[in-house]
Amino acid sequence: MTSTALDVDVRLALDRFEVTVAFSASKPVTGIFGASGAGKTSLLEAVAGLRRGARGRIRLGDDVWLDSDARRFVPPERRWIGYVPQDGLLFPHLSVRANLLAGARRARRAGHNPERSLSTVAELLELARLLERDVVTLSGGERQRVSLGRALCSGARLLLLDEPLASLDLPLRRRLLPFLRRVRDELTVPMLLVSHDPIEVQALCDELIVLREGTVVARGEPRTVLRDPEVFPLAEKEGYENVLSGRPVRQLASTSVVHLGDENSGVELIVPRLATDGEVLVTLPANEILIATESPRGISARNVLAAKVTEIRSLGHLGLVTAELGEGVPPLVVEVTETTPAELGLELGQQVFLVIKATSCRLYGGSGEPRR
Amino acid sequence: MNGDLVSILLLTLRVATVATLLVIGPATFLGYALARWDFRGKRLLSAAIGLPLVLPPTAVGFLLLRMLAVDGPLGRETLGFDLGLLLTWKAAVLAAAVMSVPLVARTARVAFESVEPRLELMGRTLGYGRFETFFRVTLPLAGRGLLAGVILGFTRALGEFGATVTLAGNIPNSTRTLASAIFSAQQVGNHDRADLLMLIALAVGFVAILAAELLGRDRSTRGDSA
Repeated sequence: MTSTALDVDVRLALDRFEVTVAFSASKPVTGIFGASGAGKTSLLEAVAGLRRGARGRIRLGDDVWLDSDARRFVPPERRWIGYVPQDGLLFPHLSVRANLLAGARRARRAGHNPERSLSTVAELLELARLLERDVVTLSGGERQRVSLGRALCSGARLLLLDEPLASLDLPLRRRLLPFLRRVRDELTVPMLLVSHDPIEVQALCDELIVLREGTVVARGEPRTVLRDPEVFPLAEKEGYENVLSGRPVRQLASTSVVHLGDENSGVELIVPRLATDGEVLVTLPANEILIATESPRGISARNVLAAKVTEIRSLGHLGLVTAELGEGVPPLVVEVTETTPAELGLELGQQVFLVIKATSCRLYGGSGEPRR
Repeated sequence: MNGDLVSILLLTLRVATVATLLVIGPATFLGYALARWDFRGKRLLSAAIGLPLVLPPTAVGFLLLRMLAVDGPLGRETLGFDLGLLLTWKAAVLAAAVMSVPLVARTARVAFESVEPRLELMGRTLGYGRFETFFRVTLPLAGRGLLAGVILGFTRALGEFGATVTLAGNIPNSTRTLASAIFSAQQVGNHDRADLLMLIALAVGFVAILAAELLGRDRSTRGDSA
């Protein structure tokens, strides 16, 4: 296994338009972002080999999966992928354990020990208690975890995740996102993730490819790409939120303090009370942050953070102000009305204060069971 | 008298069993092909398979008789040898098999159609080839429906009368099954014998249906009892 870069250059005829996409993904997690109906799932299915209509070329490392000029089409069973669809697609006639081991034969051929993978995955995704259950008795979140675990135990060289959290309600998504981050951080399988959720892609992806009506309209580092005037309206429709990762450092009476960024130079953020002491993800809606040019006093918001304006953008109907809090903290995006930056006299490099209510901060903090 | 009844029952069971065993493979294949493949003449094939359901059984029997006649397409003059089926228990098997094909094939088709094709694709992404996908995903998921079809076919074969009588006759100790024995007893006015045979038919049918119920029990309750 020398290179695991995924090279895609395909055309795919859909009902309303044609997907024409070319990209090379070499980062651990690449996201394909776009509104529903942009052709994301079809593209993922083409990569998986589940769509015979795709023309062009698809390659993982040195393995050519599709080369329609040379009439080469490698069927899905010989692509060594782990596919996790939106609805999980668990085998209803098998137990959780048997589902997790459904790809064990291939894993063995890849030189893995499926029994060992099973225990690793069961611990990572907290499935140990569910192993003997019938899958029809599982909840939505449990199903998605089993589906992810099945892909992880199958000796896959590439994980294809199709909106793995989209079928779940918000509280469940909050519980599952950390699982996906664990998989990313502790296992080394590259992932291609399809999503229309700005939080998900910021929390998971190293690189983002944005699709609209079948064509790539932007690509790059997720936070930067999402601020793109072409892209932000898509993200805004789903509710754009800043995503930060941090460590709880103190408990207050009814709130917790989370440290963001580097050990010495980061900032502290007051958030709703936390039950865990492991790493947490904090999300902050861009339209719930206020900008003040002077430090406000006598204000109910728990956080007033000094920041430096690094970018001012006009998106026509609204303005985006990006401000830096400190070393190692991703810049925060603040949504304002189009004329606000001019009315406040905002300039690049200017010091401002970001006013953030503790209750605007949403926390994605594992399942309450802290991790090392 | 009693030995006679036992031999009628055994013959009936043998005919139905052999007919069912003959039918399972081809009918399951037909059901799968109709459910999963697109090919030319699919509707025609589907209609042809259904024919024994709508034709009078005696017509089916007579059609088979014509085909097996000396100058028929399956007769001695065409094949160059004699299949030697007519008026033997094998002819009864053939008649019962043909009559039960539509039941098994059509139930199999519905059973296969009810299997989510995306689950089969999921199997493929986990490294299963086409055969492995069929045996590890499709067949287990269609299993209950297939079993129901087989039992349906078996009961049909048990009670087959019209086609059997036409093709195999109603020869004591050779081709006389429960169905034709009841008919004969009633025709000669031996109502005691007909009653007895009817009760045997009742018992056999009851056991078959009970077996179907037990075998087809919902598997999703398995986890709760464990």
